[in-house]
Amino acid sequence: MIAVLGLVLGVVVGILTRPVVPAGLEPYLPIAVVAALDAVFGGLRAMLDGLFDDKVFVVSFLSNVTVAALIVFLGDKLGVGAQLSTGVVVVLGIRIFSNAAAIRRHVFGA
Amino acid sequence: MTEEETAPPPPGPEPGRDRPTGRSALRAGLWPPRATRSQLLAAVLLFVLGLGLAIQVRATGSEETALRGARQEDLVRILSDLEDRTARLEEEKSGLEEQRTELETSSDQAEEARRQTEERERQLGVLAGTVAAEGPGITLRIDDPLGAVEADMLLDAVQELRAAGAEAIQINDVRIAAGTSFVDENGGVFVDGEPVRAPFRIGAIGRPQDLEPALNIPGGVVQSLENEQAEVSVERQEKVVVDALRSAEQPDYAQSSP
Repeated sequence: MIAVLGLVLGVVVGILTRPVVPAGLEPYLPIAVVAALDAVFGGLRAMLDGLFDDKVFVVSFLSNVTVAALIVFLGDKLGVGAQLSTGVVVVLGIRIFSNAAAIRRHVFGA
Repeated sequence: MTEEETAPPPPGPEPGRDRPTGRSALRAGLWPPRATRSQLLAAVLLFVLGLGLAIQVRATGSEETALRGARQEDLVRILSDLEDRTARLEEEKSGLEEQRTELETSSDQAEEARRQTEERERQLGVLAGTVAAEGPGITLRIDDPLGAVEADMLLDAVQELRAAGAEAIQINDVRIAAGTSFVDENGGVFVDGEPVRAPFRIGAIGRPQDLEPALNIPGGVVQSLENEQAEVSVERQEKVVVDALRSAEQPDYAQSSP
């Protein structure tokens, strides 16, 4: 419950305060958000599996975000940033779907 | 990440056991809000996620920041597209300006040509006798009480005036031009078929200082007329009007050739 409240609070604060993201980090924000979404779905699934561990969640969340941003950064440096970010988004999307499928089976049993 | 894609779906024979477990776990996590460490940690991370989501959605939604989030290579492409477009438009603009200048000069030239043509037409009209003329010149008056003046004398006078630079000449009401004829007939003088009687009034436009001496030279027109007992007077005038006209004749056969 507190976790859900944290998500809602984050959205509200983001909308109300309109924080400025440093220009250098801006291209990586969307990828980082998708990576974080993946981590959150993974965590949710682990919780439903009864395997949830806060340490694993924190580490997976941060590493997911960092690695995704790093890959895109590297792609930008190599001149294939657009393609690599597409690839990252595709991979993360597949993972999100499979996690969502597992969650669905837990919650609805189908 | 603890989960892997290899996780198999829950086995079919035991759905009854799985279902309550998933739901109850979800419900247990949701409702009685417990400030456990894992809940707080998840809250912090989800807060960060929500923040990022909100920022990104807002940045994508607003038009003016569309370029701010763009990648360097995209910006370069956009910039070069804009440069291409600018170059194309500049080219078009210079072409149109050139066209405008061309049109302006050509209309100026046409106007100038028309003006020159009119001027030339006027000059030629004076020479051909088809338009009236006025200007400085002389008037020559010949009284001929004895009827001794003949066509050749008038012709001499006209030729003398022409040689002295007269530009337009008329005798009484007949304009003198290149093709004017002087004929003696029935004791009178016919100029261009028109009878001309004394007193003869000859108006000539030209430089008076040239015309008058040309008539008055010894043995010249005035003297020979006076030898025939005619009374001759020559006057310089500031303004002589030559308003007798000849009709313009269109040549039947001759065409102008450039």
